[in-house]
Amino acid sequence: MISLQNVSKIYSLGEDIVNAVVDINLEIKEKEFIGILGSSGSGKSTLMHIIGLLELPTSGKIILDGKDISKLTDAELSKIRNKTVGFVFQSFNLINRFTVLENVLLPTKYSKERTPQDFTEKAMELLKRFGILERRNFYPNKISGGQQQRVAIARALIMNPKIILADEPTGNLDSKTGDEILDILKNLNKEFGVTVILVTHEHDIAAKTKRQIYIKDGKVVEKYL
Amino acid sequence: MKIQNGYVHLVKTALSDFRRNKVRTILTSLGIMIGVYSVVLLIALGLGLKNYIEGQFNSMGANLIMILPGSGFTGEGGAGFGGQGTVGGVSFDERDLNTLERISEIDYIVPIVMKGASIEGDSDKKFGYVMGINDDAFKLMNVEMEYGTEFTKTDIQAATKVSVIGYTLAEKLYGNPSDALGKTVRVNDQRFKIVGVAKKKGDQQADGALYVPFRTTYASINPDKKFWAIYLGIKSDDILPTVKAKAEEALLKRYKADDFAVTEQSELLNSINQIFGIINMVLIAIGSISLLVGGVGIMNIMYATVTERTKEIGIRRAVGATQNDILQQFLTESLMLSIFGGILGLLFASLSVFAIRTFFPASVNLLAVLVSFIVPSAIGVFFGVFPARRAAKLSPIEAIRYE
Ligand SMILES: Nc1ncnc2c1ncn2[C@@H]1O[C@H](COP(=O)(O)OP(=O)(O)OP(=O)(O)O)[C@@H](O)[C@H]1O
Ligand SMILES: [Mg+2]
Repeated sequence: MISLQNVSKIYSLGEDIVNAVVDINLEIKEKEFIGILGSSGSGKSTLMHIIGLLELPTSGKIILDGKDISKLTDAELSKIRNKTVGFVFQSFNLINRFTVLENVLLPTKYSKERTPQDFTEKAMELLKRFGILERRNFYPNKISGGQQQRVAIARALIMNPKIILADEPTGNLDSKTGDEILDILKNLNKEFGVTVILVTHEHDIAAKTKRQIYIKDGKVVEKYL
Repeated sequence: MKIQNGYVHLVKTALSDFRRNKVRTILTSLGIMIGVYSVVLLIALGLGLKNYIEGQFNSMGANLIMILPGSGFTGEGGAGFGGQGTVGGVSFDERDLNTLERISEIDYIVPIVMKGASIEGDSDKKFGYVMGINDDAFKLMNVEMEYGTEFTKTDIQAATKVSVIGYTLAEKLYGNPSDALGKTVRVNDQRFKIVGVAKKKGDQQADGALYVPFRTTYASINPDKKFWAIYLGIKSDDILPTVKAKAEEALLKRYKADDFAVTEQSELLNSINQIFGIINMVLIAIGSISLLVGGVGIMNIMYATVTERTKEIGIRRAVGATQNDILQQFLTESLMLSIFGGILGLLFASLSVFAIRTFFPASVNLLAVLVSFIVPSAIGVFFGVFPARRAAKLSPIEAIRYE
């Protein structure tokens, strides 16, 4: 479904050059559950942003469903982010001036199909599934971290994406809440066939995924230390 | 469907944001409000002044052709009665009346003798205008009687010593205008019996005039038997150019082209309209400065808002917003801020106009309403586009990391 070919990302901060991602080749198939594992600063987030088309690589190719995305316009890339990809971040990244329900519905405002009513029903369904339906009119800063992350997952799912990209989704949560979030992601993959890519620096979390990729200094390595 | 859904979302979020930041919203739109307020008010005042003057003109009857000495109206001074607006040229006499009488389309021919003079009543004397005219003048210039009667054709032919007195002059000389009837006034050595008191017209010159049969002035007031002007009245607008041409042709046999002018009211109105056009432009320019300052204020706040919402922009980009979507979001907000200011400005200006209406015929017209929507819209877009573009150009990842 997605293939990365010799993908590199170089940041230049004036004189300094940071090789955040170095010559990565990666093949991700449909319905996979992948863990990307690496220490802090190894380039996991950067790699995830490149897979999610939030950032373009400095060099190399990304082929999505057989199409080279380097030729796509901003509008086309945005449409893929809207329809095909769902992001879940460590720091939740909800919009505080919107309610829970409005946050879940945010991606639908940038969609080109269906009527808003359909989406509201779908959003309610998701919130119900994650046990936060009665919090739908709350603002994000009035609910717990675990609840916020569920809202973020509901938002990631509202457009029925094929891929969920989760960047340390449990990083800000206690282990019990974190496990609940991981179970949700696991279920999404198992029951609904969503491809889940989970970025983490913890071995035991990565162990829950079906395939692990180890990253060190921006490169894919055989074994995680 | 998409566009509608998207726009509803944009407008709703902007509105809820304004509600959350009421004070900031009002302060930001204040500049535009003051700008629109002044522009609308200035337009309303200019319009009122224009209406007022046009009203004065219309009181003189519609289809009036004026034969004036010199090249006619020069753009200053009062039109119609006043001699100040004309330069040089000839004086007319009864020969010209006879010449003009041959033009069959003319309904009224009125000679105008006009002299500023001291007019003496029983105990008092006041400055006023002696106007030597004929009986048709009352119809042509819409002079109606408050008390008494007009003088007649017979009075003209016999050069009777009668007069009709303007309302204000009667008031000044006799206190109560109705007391003027039957009294005798003196101008130079001539005496005139007052047979009528004219209704108040609101025109200083007309209300301060003493109307007398023009031939009666041939004694000491106007020994040369000359007229300052000749007014022609016609029934319909259509023949106005024809009559003008014929009158001109007839008079050219006697005078040089530069010595007289055949003009119509609408020409005078045009010059006045032009002057008001210029005044309006100047007033609008002044208002525009406030609008400009208001626009800069909006731009300033929008830059602050973009910075404040950097993270939100990143989040929106991550869930599928295009650069254009972000641009639209901030443009909508600056546009709404600006239009909000415009509506407030229009509202307050309308209230002010309503308040001054009792003593001045100011009015809010379609132009003012259009200006108060179109101008702020343009300002909102123009000053909003810079911050909005900055927002749109943000890198999604850097934006989302922004704290
Ligand atoms: N916008 C940027 N500009 C410059 N350097 C950057 C930028 N983003 C990331 N980097 C650098 O690239 C490297 C990889 O960063 P990245 O965020 O991908 O690491 P990570 O594996 O996600 O780390 P963590 O586990 O701490 O989140 C780091 O050295 C970082 O400093
Ligand atoms: Mg990271």
